[in-house]
Amino acid sequence: MAKDMTKKKIIIVGGGISGLLAAIKVCELGGEVLLFSYCPVKRSHSLCAQGGINACMDTKGEHDSVYEHFDDTVYGGDFLADQIAVKGMVEAAPKLIKMFDRMGVPFTRTPEGVLDLRNFGGQKNKRTCFAGSTTGQQILYALDEQVRRWEVKGSVKKYEFWEFIKIVKNKEGICRGIIAQSMNTMKIEAFRADTVILATGGPGQVFGRCTASTICNGSAVSAVYQQGAEIANPEFIQIHPTAIPGSDKNRLMSEACRGEGGRVWVYKDGKPWYFLEEMYPAYGNLVPRDIASRAIYKVCVHMGLGINGENRVYLDLSHIPADYLERKLGGILEMYSEFVGKDPRKVPMEIFPSVHYSMGGIWVDRKHNTNIPGLMASGECDYQYHGANRLGANSLLSAAYSGTISGPEAMNWAKNGNKGSEISDAELEAARAEVQEEYDRIVNMSGEENAHKLHHEMGDIMYKYVAIERDNNGLDQGLIELKKLLKRWDNIGLTDHSKTANQEAMFVRQLRNMILYAMAITKSARMRDESRGAHAKIKLENGQQVHDADGELVFMPRDDKNFMFTSIVNYDPKTEEPVVTYREFDHSLIKPRPRSYAVAKKE
Amino acid sequence: MFHTTFYIRRLHSICGLAVLGMVLFEHIFTNSMAIFGPAALNGALEMMELIPKPIFLGLELGGIAIPLLFHAIYGVYIALQANNNASNYGYCRNRNFTLQRWTAWYLVIFLIWHVGYLRLYTKGITGTPISYELLQNYFQNPVVVVLYVLGMFAAIFHFCNGITTFCMTWGITKGPRSQNVVSVLSMGLCAILCLITLTFMGSYLI
Amino acid sequence: MAEKKVRFVIERQDSPESQPYTQEFDVDYRPGLNVVAALMEIQKNPVTVDGKKVAPVVWECNCLEKVCGACMMVINGRARQACCALVDEIEQPIHLAPARTFPVIRDLLIDRTRMFEALKKIQGWVELDGSWDVKDAPIQNPYTAQTAYEISHCMTCGCCLEACPNVGPQSDFIGPAPTVQAYLFNLHPLGKFDKPKRLNALMEKGGITSCGNSQNCVEVCPKFIKLTTYLAQLNRDVNIQALKNIFNN
Repeated sequence: MAKDMTKKKIIIVGGGISGLLAAIKVCELGGEVLLFSYCPVKRSHSLCAQGGINACMDTKGEHDSVYEHFDDTVYGGDFLADQIAVKGMVEAAPKLIKMFDRMGVPFTRTPEGVLDLRNFGGQKNKRTCFAGSTTGQQILYALDEQVRRWEVKGSVKKYEFWEFIKIVKNKEGICRGIIAQSMNTMKIEAFRADTVILATGGPGQVFGRCTASTICNGSAVSAVYQQGAEIANPEFIQIHPTAIPGSDKNRLMSEACRGEGGRVWVYKDGKPWYFLEEMYPAYGNLVPRDIASRAIYKVCVHMGLGINGENRVYLDLSHIPADYLERKLGGILEMYSEFVGKDPRKVPMEIFPSVHYSMGGIWVDRKHNTNIPGLMASGECDYQYHGANRLGANSLLSAAYSGTISGPEAMNWAKNGNKGSEISDAELEAARAEVQEEYDRIVNMSGEENAHKLHHEMGDIMYKYVAIERDNNGLDQGLIELKKLLKRWDNIGLTDHSKTANQEAMFVRQLRNMILYAMAITKSARMRDESRGAHAKIKLENGQQVHDADGELVFMPRDDKNFMFTSIVNYDPKTEEPVVTYREFDHSLIKPRPRSYAVAKKE
Repeated sequence: MFHTTFYIRRLHSICGLAVLGMVLFEHIFTNSMAIFGPAALNGALEMMELIPKPIFLGLELGGIAIPLLFHAIYGVYIALQANNNASNYGYCRNRNFTLQRWTAWYLVIFLIWHVGYLRLYTKGITGTPISYELLQNYFQNPVVVVLYVLGMFAAIFHFCNGITTFCMTWGITKGPRSQNVVSVLSMGLCAILCLITLTFMGSYLI
Repeated sequence: MAEKKVRFVIERQDSPESQPYTQEFDVDYRPGLNVVAALMEIQKNPVTVDGKKVAPVVWECNCLEKVCGACMMVINGRARQACCALVDEIEQPIHLAPARTFPVIRDLLIDRTRMFEALKKIQGWVELDGSWDVKDAPIQNPYTAQTAYEISHCMTCGCCLEACPNVGPQSDFIGPAPTVQAYLFNLHPLGKFDKPKRLNALMEKGGITSCGNSQNCVEVCPKFIKLTTYLAQLNRDVNIQALKNIFNN
């Protein structure tokens, strides 16, 4: 078969919403896509997004505006997001929704047949388009279908059950391909590309138990970080206030529950106390996630008011008519019943905050190029758009939008970029052989430690020191413990030496990447001496936590003078430690103002 | 492209229900005359003899033999594509699915014997007309009776369950309720036809 | 206090070509324990009940929320998602086996490529001119959209294929899930333009005619999709399409 050799070859790693949309854009521009994924792309983690996707459709008579969406996003992100980038995203949002609608995403509709909208946290207007409570699943499926169409046409070649291991750079340090390994046959291969896009999602598994899928380990991000890519703002980890705690996983209970009227409460003096409504009268239960999580944490941990003394509060939907709930939230209520065994239509759900999303990620410019030429990042694995805290239902938007930017830009680079020298077969093989050698070493590791137990311990460390409330003592301690963990990694022993689907060996390799990423998060959090968005740091005096006159913890204030900068983390190959610096970003459009959800927003 | 599989499948379905259903009804109707004694049955059999030979032979060939052979041979092909799993998935419809195939296997053997012995050998080669007396004599052997009753039951179940699946295959019953109603009705028919069969088979033994 | 254990009897297989064998494991009981969580415990301590240290069991899972479809396996003889198979609700000892309707790669890990290939056959997509802005998307009947939403929950897990007696190495039936997906696109205001193509594809060998109405699919579907209803509707549609094919040409 004659193959068009002039076709530009783009490698996309990750088959979530961002990767798939980028793939579609590349195909439309005449490129050829090699799509790598841990799993069939239809099983990517994007499908766990439940509540919806924000776009100013203004179909509810509220005079919603794109500017309002822009301002909510910037304000919600505590003024740490690049405002030009955010503006581009919110402006594109309504068009993206119409495109999804045409693709067949079964959005929930009004009796008139137009898209319904719901409320979401941190926004006063109804702005969230949704498909029941499985919006991410529906959008992912629609994109999966479109990519399958391109696959049939021959523009996309899927490498499913392949693990990305590292990029291959030429002499000039420009990314010209990747090394990947088949997860079934364990074969390691090198692939050439004109541009590589990483769309590998978030690093949730670094925290062990989180709302993320088991495949969201941040390993790919860490791999390129070790190869010189900069990570930005990794300390901003979103803790979702409402998750069902579990030993294998904390299952997400969508913000849509609060959007549809759910109320959060605990018993205080024998009576229900709707503490969010009392603490934040203007937004009530619809405060952004960082605020809600800290409030729940405070009520449970500091005030000891959790249900039966445990770390749980009620999320109550039982006052809402069952048929309404079924239509708007059916999927997730069914999930709660299934995993907990209680019917949330009748009794309040028991929830607690859980690690959910990483605002930070690989540093990219507004076109989604990383600091390594030829390498791009797109979706949750990049740092753009959300600043210090992400608003609910903005993640699907940023995932989709970033794909529509990174795809065309990848083609632009492939056609017009200065790609430097071609990479020779020998160079490619040398890079492959190096990975092969490392893998063989891992398979033959025979120490005492079990990788899965180490992973569990890492999660405990991260939850203890780098979660909802942080202080510098804890962060220092966290770093020390992570370094110890990295040492112990060398002493891992494998029981599986198989040449077929050796999941243990792959996990050991990923674990090392995860530990290094955890160190980047912790170090970056240690260096940022302020509270901003999801990063809340307790003030220390003489090494002790400070309490105010009422005995409440005192947090460091936001410090725009010293810290309204993007944290940039570089990997130091000699010490394996992260190095944190700060970089300017654009905040020229909306002037920073104090962020408070107790009062209505003033612009 | 011409959807050969599709048309053959649909032909298989309609031939099973309409043509072979008629044959089954004819057999049950004629044989049920035995309930009213030898004269009634012999009368019914003689009625059939009134049909001119060429037409009768044509009917037998075009209305029974060819459809039956087609239904049986293609049916075997269909049955071979199934991996019956009612032991793990013991739902009513799945049990019926399995039973549909088991009865089919039994019927293939039973009909070779029945047609081969009674129609081809007895009537065709020896030229003995089928009569009440002949059948009564034949049914003196209890093994034959049991195999014949089983053969009738198998054919009746296969036909009645076929009504239910026919309605699904042709998109007549769509929702679970209508499918259930048809299923219950056809199983009711199955019970009635089985009772009639038991009665006329019993009448030979009294 | 003797800790409560849960016994797992797992059918294992080292590679696609090798013979299956079984191994038994004990896992500490805890409330709310599910099969995936138990397999994770086995990963941390892969020792059989005989005290033999073995390679950890290999299986596929992603979301653990019953939306990704990855962890489908045969649990006590029935195909289902392992993540929501709560130990409290199933009979012990718990038997785990791979879904052998599909080729087994290793242990409980299977190759479901055929399902995705089937989605290509039925042309499971809306034929879009491009991902660019065109104009407003057409208004949709909210009731039809609700039906579409139900069908669109299908996570390609393969439960229905595993349970369907007509799907397997012995047959070329593409299975209930991909078949019913054709109906999803036929419902869409733009997707319905290509309805005849999809129906003609379903009339091919291995298409909807291979359905034997055992109706196991609807019983085992973890998403409660009314598969048999839509199969009957599609049967109706292909019959009409067949008449059109005959008389309109």
